[in-house]
Amino acid sequence: MLEIEGLTKFFGGLAALSGVDMRVKPGDILGLIGPNGAGKTTLFNLVTGFLRPTKGRVIFEGKDITGKKPHSIAAKAIVRTFQATNIFPDFTVLQNIVLSCHLVPKIGLLETVFHTPSSRRKDEDILQRSQAILELVGLDTMADVAALNLAHGHKRILGIAIALAAEPKLLLLDEPLSGMNAEEVSETMRLIDRLWQSGITILLIEHNMRAAMSLCQRIVVLNFGRKIAEGSPEEIKGNNEVIQAYLGAGEYAP
Amino acid sequence: MNKRIMISLLSCGILIVCICFLPFFFPGPYHLHVLILTMMNIILASSLRLINLSGQLSLAHGGMMTIGAYTSTLLVMKLGFSSWLALLMAGFFPAVIACLVGFPFVRLKGIYFAIVTIFLGEMIVLTAGQWRSLTGGSSGIFNIPRPNPLVIPGIVNITFSSKVDFYYLAFVLMLISLLILYAVENSRIGLTLRGIQQTDSLAESVGINTAGFKVLAFTIGCFFPGLIGGFYSQYISAINPDTFGFLFTIYLLVYMTVGGAERFIGPILGAFILTIFPEVTRPLKAFVPFFFAAVLMVVIFFMPEGIAGLPERLHKAIRKLLEKKTNHA
Repeated sequence: MLEIEGLTKFFGGLAALSGVDMRVKPGDILGLIGPNGAGKTTLFNLVTGFLRPTKGRVIFEGKDITGKKPHSIAAKAIVRTFQATNIFPDFTVLQNIVLSCHLVPKIGLLETVFHTPSSRRKDEDILQRSQAILELVGLDTMADVAALNLAHGHKRILGIAIALAAEPKLLLLDEPLSGMNAEEVSETMRLIDRLWQSGITILLIEHNMRAAMSLCQRIVVLNFGRKIAEGSPEEIKGNNEVIQAYLGAGEYAP
Repeated sequence: MNKRIMISLLSCGILIVCICFLPFFFPGPYHLHVLILTMMNIILASSLRLINLSGQLSLAHGGMMTIGAYTSTLLVMKLGFSSWLALLMAGFFPAVIACLVGFPFVRLKGIYFAIVTIFLGEMIVLTAGQWRSLTGGSSGIFNIPRPNPLVIPGIVNITFSSKVDFYYLAFVLMLISLLILYAVENSRIGLTLRGIQQTDSLAESVGINTAGFKVLAFTIGCFFPGLIGGFYSQYISAINPDTFGFLFTIYLLVYMTVGGAERFIGPILGAFILTIFPEVTRPLKAFVPFFFAAVLMVVIFFMPEGIAGLPERLHKAIRKLLEKKTNHA
């Protein structure tokens, strides 16, 4: 589904990512882990077009999408979430989703200005889809709350819901569990699992090891911009290089 | 909700009727001139706000008006166009230019976009001053013909020989412009633009072509100053490059900010108050820039949402006060 070949990104002289190869198969749920600054978010930015790679290619469903604009990559059904700026704060929860249903069904510019019957039908359609998405993620009771006033955990879930509105085949989640309390973590994990079961392929950056290990079938580990390991959660747990990357190597390290 | 819509529709209707009858109460040419200027400024400030919805500030309005004015004038005087077609072209030509320069421009964000639009505006004004063979140089063009008479035999015969005729023309232009701007803002385009203003990378990530929408807002927002530029040249029947300078554009920004850029009614209120007020206090006209600066500072510090945001703020303040009282009791 997604093939990454020799992906490299330099920021000035610093290699944020160097020669990373990776494959995501349809129906995968793949974890991307690594210490801070390992290049995980950079990889997301390169795949979704927010950054242009210095070298390497990104291929999605057989087509080269390297260096395409983010909105056209989203139109190919690769959608990502963000760590920080992940909602439209001044809109209500429902408006957040309605706006994000931009890709389907397409409404013409003149249609929407003149409120033609066809645009009204599509608006109705979008409204229903939006409500369905909110029900799916469990925010339906908060549809009319200003997004700004949501609790942190709900904001993060809204971020995922916004991505869902764009109908992804491949969903890239950037630390969806960060800053959540234990209850929110398990709720969101269940949500991610449900999305995966419904057929969305998921690539997940996560610092919460326990969550990443239990959610993902396969895990890729990055360190200093290089891929140092790939395998099942069990393999990764036992991998010496991974342990060194997280804990450091030396006399006193295990 | 339905009741609110009824009330606002009703008040709009009453307002329109009032404006229709205004010339009977203020028949003098000076009063009419001020009213025409007010309506022009309302359109200009409102169109500035449409661009602002996408999170961008355009300061090219003066330049766009200059293009519109010269487009209309030259089409009528050199190519013999009908004044009405010329007026329409006066809007379209700046819009086309905005669309062309828009794509490189929107790569810049915030203040940097505003700066390149200043340069664009100044470039247009300078070109108009230097291209003597076409524009008549810095002395401009005089004796621009009036709009072609509107004649429906036996019913209507508007010759545009008096200011009243121009008053109604300005009024019709204002109604149409505000209707279009309102429709755009309350369509999906408006929602999308506001989303882009809040978090444009997130909008991009769900498939919204943010650059395209920013250019769209810029293009629509530049149509109206062109139109008004064309109207003004036909109304005053003279145009020169300095008519719509940079200070003029800044005034439009002041109208929008003082009125409140967050609400549709904001620039309308701002343009109305700040065009009428200096005329009422005519003897102090030399102090207008000073007065504008003072008003702007007061608004920025004490009414961040402008005059249009005042009722809501007052409402909240009063409710808070009442809550406090009930708490004490």
